[in-house]
Amino acid sequence: MKKKNSTLALTFLLLFSTLLSACGGGNLSSSAATATQPSAKTGDSTAAASPAETAGLTGTLNVQMIGGFTEEDKTDPKTGLKTTGVRVLKEEFEKLYPGAEVNFVLMGWDSYNEKTQTMLQSNAADVYQLPGIATFAEQGLLEPLQSYIDRDKFDLDQYFGGQVEGWKAMGPEDTDLQIYGLPFIGDTRVIVYDKKIFDDWGVPYLSKEPTIEEILEKAEKMTGKNPKTGEQNYGLTFNKSDAADTVMNINESKGGKWGTGFLWKDMELEFNTPTMVEALDLLKKAKEYAPEGVLAGQGAENFLTEKNNVAINLRAAPGFITDIKANGTEDRYDAALLFVNPEEKMGGMFAGSPFSIGKSSTQKELAWEWLKFSSSDFFQQFMWDNYRNESTPVVKASTEWASVKEIPQMSVVLDAMGRLWAPRYPYRSGQPRYILSENVEKALLESTSSQEALDKAQKDAAEWIVSQK
Amino acid sequence: MLNETIGRKKKRTGKSFLNGWVWFIFLLPTLLGIALFTVYPMIESFRLSFTRGAEERYVGFENYQHVLGSDSFHQAIFNTFYIAFFQLLIVIPLGFIIASLIHSLRKGQNFFKILFYIPNITSMVAAATVFLVVLHPQGLLNYVLSAFGFPETIWLANPVSARWSVILLASWHALGFGIIINLANLQAISPDYYEAASIDGASRFKQWLYITIPNMLGSLTILIILGWIDGLQRFTEAFMLGGHTGSPARSLYTLVGFIYERGFGGLEYGVASAASYLLLILILVFTFINIKFFRMKI
Repeated sequence: MKKKNSTLALTFLLLFSTLLSACGGGNLSSSAATATQPSAKTGDSTAAASPAETAGLTGTLNVQMIGGFTEEDKTDPKTGLKTTGVRVLKEEFEKLYPGAEVNFVLMGWDSYNEKTQTMLQSNAADVYQLPGIATFAEQGLLEPLQSYIDRDKFDLDQYFGGQVEGWKAMGPEDTDLQIYGLPFIGDTRVIVYDKKIFDDWGVPYLSKEPTIEEILEKAEKMTGKNPKTGEQNYGLTFNKSDAADTVMNINESKGGKWGTGFLWKDMELEFNTPTMVEALDLLKKAKEYAPEGVLAGQGAENFLTEKNNVAINLRAAPGFITDIKANGTEDRYDAALLFVNPEEKMGGMFAGSPFSIGKSSTQKELAWEWLKFSSSDFFQQFMWDNYRNESTPVVKASTEWASVKEIPQMSVVLDAMGRLWAPRYPYRSGQPRYILSENVEKALLESTSSQEALDKAQKDAAEWIVSQK
Repeated sequence: MLNETIGRKKKRTGKSFLNGWVWFIFLLPTLLGIALFTVYPMIESFRLSFTRGAEERYVGFENYQHVLGSDSFHQAIFNTFYIAFFQLLIVIPLGFIIASLIHSLRKGQNFFKILFYIPNITSMVAAATVFLVVLHPQGLLNYVLSAFGFPETIWLANPVSARWSVILLASWHALGFGIIINLANLQAISPDYYEAASIDGASRFKQWLYITIPNMLGSLTILIILGWIDGLQRFTEAFMLGGHTGSPARSLYTLVGFIYERGFGGLEYGVASAASYLLLILILVFTFINIKFFRMKI
């Protein structure tokens, strides 16, 4: 009997230890809570505390980052180049704030909004990379930054124009746009073209700020059998997944805009205005000069390589710079600026990532220091040197870096960043984004006219917005 | 004496109860896992289906009304059924034919079993990536078709051909499973039936019609039922070839795609949860009809 009891007791013990070990992994919040207390020091060491510590800037700072970041060094599979891990940022920050310890929560782009939402609600980090900032600000999950900026007289002019405005958002109590995040990753789109194909056809290169008409005229001339190589050439290509953004950008060049308002409750869309219809008709025209598979995202796989047969890409991400370097085609490709609204002097979807502070963070001061740190030359240059494919500098100082200057196309990229529509299109954080894409695609597939497609997009999107009020 | 017997019986019952109970402890981690990761999310999703927004405002059946009245949901239902129907129409007969051919082989059965089953164990993401190349305008499929005089098709740029691309990929992936199930059933049919039939003078065709087919109904039924359940939950193939909007023009937008886009694309958890429950009801009803129609005993 005794033996039976001890077997039973052992079984229980085993089960409980299994359960406890399964549940016990890395409790960040508890360690963070412990670490926020001033470090236990004795005697002289307390007296010799650094200025940062006396200011209370000690403890653990949890920083969430999204993308291809790794803490340790890695080799880029595309270029074969060594990439230094973000541990360097941690080491530098901890050097600047000796009582602080940085913990990274690094994750990929898959379902990042849902993961971030969960993290914000459970206070899993202090600093967040928030490309979908508006959604979270609206829920009251983010710390407003204006008071910190005013208190420290933090210079917002160090950022490229529009970068701070682009990330402005509204909290539940706000009556106008406020700063909830500071940019640290820049992004944009530019028009990239193949100079060799232009030369083969004897067509002058694109101007720095081409109009859609100029592009269509030149694309038409370069569609057909290449007079020198005899291979089939296409005048242009565009990304099928963001065709709606291209239409919106052309619309802007015609004096249109996406709409007005910011929160769903006071948003008015302008999806079916005459300029939008004209823009969609122009993209339909552009499709005639594109590879047959353009609406399937196919046919332009060789763009940026030596084997390319497409003259112009209407929307290329800044990462093309890495690709042409890897392909050894730096001299063959050049870039031109996206279209802008002539009155507003801006156009194109604002993109990139800001850093924000979680409203329920217990390390707000240290988090604010991290945000400031992210604008430093050290931080920005590190990102540019190591994560160039997904990060374009956001500070004006970058224009003076030798590593930026040596890439001629970068001046266009940086110019383009300062002209993006700010604040970013708020309709893109909900169903109107998908509704517009779907209807633009239908028009491009010729299954409906541009006017009908955009009327439907306007109607469906407006109905959806009403359901959110 | 009687008391002693009762006492012994009680002791025995207590002992056997204890023995049985100890084993239940070993099930506890699994039961806890199911409770935490299946039952709780289902209950939570049910609750969410009656709410809207981040503040989880109670809206009654509004989400269900919204989903049922949504054009994109109707489109998703059409696409899901279209792809599932034609996939089953290809996989089940073809699986049966190939299984019959393999079954008739004297040598090399295992080789063909492995060969046809390999696609089924291949990751759908990897397979879809390869299919993107196969379906390229200058890809393998167009190359083969052009040899027979067919014109070049941009498979993923046209709604109908895009759906057929997914059907092709899904069929290629599921064919191995159909073959294995059919083959298992074929091997289970007693050779005595065929021997007796041939003594009675039945032709090979009559043997196939009157012996093989009736004995295959069980496996064909299970393939149809499982195929429909699987087909109604289709996502990966469509997502890989058409992205999360089911491009082109929502032609690859499936029911699970609708849930994914609304839940993860727009953080409309209430709408996505309502759609999930509607999908659950659809699967239950459809499976029930299938079982009744094929008179399957469960």
